[in-house]
Amino acid sequence: MKPVIETRNLSRHYGAGDTLVKALDDVNIVIEPGEFTAIVGPSGSGKSTLLQLIGGLDIPNSGKVLLSDKEISEMSGSELSDFRRDHIGFIFQAYNLIPVLSAAENCEYIMLLQGIPAAERKERVYKMLAEVGLEGRETRLPNQLSGGQQQRVAVARAMVSQPDIILADEPTANLDSQTGMDLLDMMHDLNRHEGMTFVFSTHDPKIMERASRLIHIEDGRVIKDERRED
Amino acid sequence: MGLTWKLALRNILRNKRRTFLTMLLISMTLAILIFTDGYMKAMADVMIRSATRLYPGDGQIHHVEYLAERDGEKQIDDVAGHIAALQSEDMIASYSPRALDFGMVSSTANNLAVQVVGIDADLEASVSKLKLSIVDGEYLNNEGSDSQILIGKALADLLEVDLGDRLVVSLNNYDSDEIDQRLFRVSGIFHMNSNFFDKGLVFIQLAKAQEMMGIGDNVHEIAFNFVDEGLSGDESLPVWKNLSTDTTVAEGWTSLMADLASIISMFDFSMFIVGGILFVVAILGVINAMFMSIYERTYEFGVIIAIGTRRMSVLTLILVEGLVMCIGSLIIGAALGALITVIIGNVGIDYGSMEFSGVALAEVLRPELRMLQFTDLPFAVFVMTMVACVYPAIHASRIIPATALHKSL
Ligand SMILES: Nc1ncnc2c1ncn2[C@@H]1O[C@H](COP(=O)(O)OP(=O)(O)O)[C@@H](O)[C@H]1O
Ligand SMILES: [Mg+2]
Repeated sequence: MKPVIETRNLSRHYGAGDTLVKALDDVNIVIEPGEFTAIVGPSGSGKSTLLQLIGGLDIPNSGKVLLSDKEISEMSGSELSDFRRDHIGFIFQAYNLIPVLSAAENCEYIMLLQGIPAAERKERVYKMLAEVGLEGRETRLPNQLSGGQQQRVAVARAMVSQPDIILADEPTANLDSQTGMDLLDMMHDLNRHEGMTFVFSTHDPKIMERASRLIHIEDGRVIKDERRED
Repeated sequence: MGLTWKLALRNILRNKRRTFLTMLLISMTLAILIFTDGYMKAMADVMIRSATRLYPGDGQIHHVEYLAERDGEKQIDDVAGHIAALQSEDMIASYSPRALDFGMVSSTANNLAVQVVGIDADLEASVSKLKLSIVDGEYLNNEGSDSQILIGKALADLLEVDLGDRLVVSLNNYDSDEIDQRLFRVSGIFHMNSNFFDKGLVFIQLAKAQEMMGIGDNVHEIAFNFVDEGLSGDESLPVWKNLSTDTTVAEGWTSLMADLASIISMFDFSMFIVGGILFVVAILGVINAMFMSIYERTYEFGVIIAIGTRRMSVLTLILVEGLVMCIGSLIIGAALGALITVIIGNVGIDYGSMEFSGVALAEVLRPELRMLQFTDLPFAVFVMTMVACVYPAIHASRIIPATALHKSL
């Protein structure tokens, strides 16, 4: 099978001279379609940097990122925008949602950018919100939802436009451990049902256990890559 | 586009106090501009009217060489032809032919040099405020005795004469080249609230003046007023050419009273300065408010750009937010400006008989509304506001998601 994500000699440095930080140093990873992968490592090890480079939010100092064999550094600004819109779903640690839009409107946002007709948008949004357990809360504003519910809306928004890859940077970091685990179980279920490729980062050992593949990084380098049985 | 408008409207309502203050700033800018324009226009009109309608008239016709030295020999000889021309112009409301020259006026107490003006009493009353300025005695009567003379209050004091007292007027006779002296009786005393007129002019009947000056039916000046005095400053009107001939020239107050014209054009300049200061303050205020609202949302913009919003759309969103606030502010500002102008226009601003740049303001000032206050001025404020939004909008569209999200990632 053709890999959905591939990095080749990927490096990202900050600063220069004595203050040079190698946030990412010569990283080579290959992720197959449908994998449920966790990037794990202590704080400051380069997890966010790696996810940002994969998602085209940042530009590497050297090396390249291939998504389904397409090299994203070759895309122009608006091409990359559209590529992210159509192929990548993002979930961040917190404050993912647009505060002035309801849960349903937040989910609809990307499909609106994609120009999907209203009826289809509505149907997909309501189905997706039900799947993440938010039936009946569609019209609530983000500040009327709990932290865990907000993250579920973020997951729904990331998935509803049916991207190829979901990138989630410490999606459970702001949640208590039970809520975090529930969210992750839900993501794993969706991964199995929909077959979408998930890559998420965490430094929480309990969360790591849920992943089917663990890529350990430290000081910007991959130190261990293990596959586990579900 | 629906999404952008929805987001813009809801974002504007997010920080109501900031939105209120920003809109207040924009709408007050427009309201002040509208009122200032109404005030300046009224001030200019009153000054022009005070200056022209007191005595000189909106325009005057002279022999082309007369004004250079006020040479009494340079007369308008085809008076009837000029009057016919004046009567045929729809724009002209009234006219008054005047025979005038420098002369002497003598009482038992004093001899003084003055300008003696021969007028047709009825025609003059239709052009100047002379008749209305009589404070003692009577205005000239065309049917009355030819020894009537009107003098100013200040001149009467200098000559130590009163109503009914005798005066001798001496004028040069251009026919005989001799001095013609006649006896007059003070029949009226006027007060125009201007030293120049009150000390320097005396009025006698036109026929008598023509006879003393030996100029037949000729006159030196024909003063006239427009129906709409607002037009009298327009030098491009055909009427000026129509009223001029090979030997005579019709001119308006803009060239007859160049000082006044330059004061009036200073008004436009003042308006420009007031507008400029307001604009700088308002632009800085709007830029500041927009930046504050963008800084607060840096993370949010980072997220929406990350999930695939194009930078152009972010730029458009900020501009639409500015646009919505701007349109709202313009409506409020125009209403507010109109209200202030109408209220103060009804009450009126009374400067008493204060002289302003040598012109005594003869009327209560009433700021007035006019079209450009609701077209040009809002447009200028609109352009200003949108220009003020461009820089913050570009800033927002350049937010780098990786940097904006760094605090959480
Ligand atoms: N924008 C940045 N400017 C400077 N240094 C940065 C920036 N982003 C990340 N870094 C540095 O790069 C290293 C990796 O950071 P990050 O990828 O955020 O780690 P993690 O997500 O694993 O905590 C850290 O040392 C961090 O300080
Ligand atoms: Mg991180």
